[in-house]
This record gives sequence, C-alpha cells and structure tokens, in this order.
Amino acid sequence: MAELADYSGPFDPDFSYDRFTKETLLKLIRSHAEYVRRIDGQWYLAVMQECGNDAAFACDAIVWEKLEAYTMKTTSNLLNIHGDDVVTLIKALQANPWSSSYKFNVDLINNDHAIISFINCPTLLALERDGSGREMLICNKLEVRLMELKAHYFNPNMIVTPLKLPPREPNSDICCQWELKV
Amino acid sequence: MKGLMADYSGAFDPTFSHGKLAQETLAKLMKATAEYMRRIDGHWYLSVMEKWGNDEALDCDIKVWERLVTYEMKMLSSLLNIHGDDVVTVMKALQASPWTLTYACDIDVRNNDEAIVTYRNCPTLLALEKEGKGREGLICQELEPRLMAKIAHYFNPSIEVVALKIPPRSGNEDICCQWEFKLER
Repeated sequence: MAELADYSGPFDPDFSYDRFTKETLLKLIRSHAEYVRRIDGQWYLAVMQECGNDAAFACDAIVWEKLEAYTMKTTSNLLNIHGDDVVTLIKALQANPWSSSYKFNVDLINNDHAIISFINCPTLLALERDGSGREMLICNKLEVRLMELKAHYFNPNMIVTPLKLPPREPNSDICCQWELKV
Repeated sequence: MKGLMADYSGAFDPTFSHGKLAQETLAKLMKATAEYMRRIDGHWYLSVMEKWGNDEALDCDIKVWERLVTYEMKMLSSLLNIHGDDVVTVMKALQASPWTLTYACDIDVRNNDEAIVTYRNCPTLLALEKEGKGREGLICQELEPRLMAKIAHYFNPSIEVVALKIPPRSGNEDICCQWEFKLER
C-alpha cells in the first residue's frame, strides 16, 4: 500500500496512522509533544486565572508527582530502556514524549555520571515572556523535584544536582543544567 | 528498514532522535503519547476537583479545551493538509486526532455533508462510571457537545452537531455516545 505524506486525499474508512510515511509520523510525534506541553500549560493557566498562582502551582506539583513515574515507566517499557545507571536515565530523557519540544546536550562522563544542559525550553521562554517571575517556582522548586523523581525511578541512589537554574544571565544560552551521578 | 531501531535497549546514542526508531515503534509511541495526554488532562481535573470541588474543575476543563480544540484542529489540518468546509473534512480530522488512538469509534459517512460518529469505547467514560459520582452527567452532556461543535465549526460554522446518544448508558454493552454531523446547503 502506498504511504501517505498527508491526508489531503479522500476519506478513508480504514484510516490509521500506519498509512503515513515515516517523515509524516515524525512530524506528528513532534506536534504531539508540543500538544502534551500545551495541555499541561493550559491547565496551569486556567487554574491560575480561576484560583491564583499558588493554587495552580499546588495542582501542578500534585499532577507531576503522580505522572513522572508513569512517564518513565511507559517510555522505558515501550523502548526497553532498563538499568540503574545515569546513562539509562539519559536514554529515557532522550526518548520520552516531552523530548521533541526541548533541546539538550549531554556530556556523558561515564555511565554513572553526566551533565545535561537544556539549551532550549519553550516553557522557560513563555515564563520569561510572561514576566511575573513564575520560573522561580516552576524551575527552581518543581523541576528540581521532578528531575529527582525521574532519576529515582531508575535508581533511588542517583544524585541530582542543579548546576544552573533560571533566572538566566542575559544572553545565556543555557536554560538549566544538571549533574546526574550515582 | 535496515538499521532502524525496534527499541532503545542498545548503547547510548548521543545523536538519538525518534527518526532512528522503526515505523512500528513510532506508531506504538504515538499511541502511548495519546494515552499520556488523556492522563495529564485527567490528573489535572482530579487535582483541581480534590482541592476546590467539581464546579471549579469543570470550569477549568471547559476553558482549557475550548482553547485546545482549536489548536488541535489547526495543527492537524495544517500538518496533514486536511482542508475543506464539509462534514467529511471534519471526519478526516477526527480520525487523525491523537485522541482517537485511545478510543474506538466508527464513522458512517452518508455523504460529504452528513455523517454519524459512534464511540464504542471511551476510557474516560469507563473511569467516570467506575468512580460512580455521576460526573459523566456534566462532562459528557455539557462539555463534550460544546467540544464536538467547536471541532465542526473550526471547518464550517454552519455544520450542525446533534448528540444522538450520550451517557448515562444502559449497560456495559451499550455504545458510549453517538453524534450526527450535518450541513444543510
């Protein structure tokens, strides 16, 4: 069966994503990653508008405290990423549903030690544009906790140290930087 | 295809991208991501409901999805080149929605301006029924008709959406919901 680059043709009663070319699937994966980010972001904003930022932040923390382990579990089961070292965590970070929305560099010192630098983060860009300083809570409190949850899913002894967190220095190209070590 | 990865059990690849995975694996990932979206949405709803009650959670849910439905339709139609102002265009967009990966739905296209959509499996409804508080009364009867209309009106504000059947259901064998999409020209 010919692969489709898009769905501009006639209605197909047996439509499935399997019909698309790999290139189209990759575009869909990237757009779904952005969609995931927007679902989370729109919920945060809706709660913030209704109940204030403290309430939104409290809900955000509850949601992700529950979902981080699920994120790591589904990614690692689906892609057979198993282990208890730092490199296993890095592989899960590269492949999880959020990864297409962010850009990061990995300096793998050895299998138990790495530095990860996020060089593009659309959430931070939105927070900086918003200008109300919410990155101080989201990046400096919540993200630290969430990076630990991700690391501890693979190994409770993994140590997560934030080396750089927002607010960024003017013209800094690093959004945040983390040391991961066992 | 040769060289593509069925999974990521091998060595760390500093240049890893989803493009290195086999097509079959990508399809599995997309399904998992669709379920992930549903869970993110569900956990947000529950966390607001637990703290401030169901009215507040439903208000937020409506705000969120009235914005996101338009975003989703725009994203799908531009990415997959789905354009038009008839009902069959709406059906194509519904088929391509990531949400459809988590539901079982049949689409009966009668002609380009009329179709019936039947949801036979809906994990959200199953969760609401299991919870037993009757929240499907609000979510399925108030929110979903608005969202279905919003989806249709993205393509043509004159398309009429009629809920033919919505929860509560008569039993587990019953369909979840059924919608008629129609455009009078």
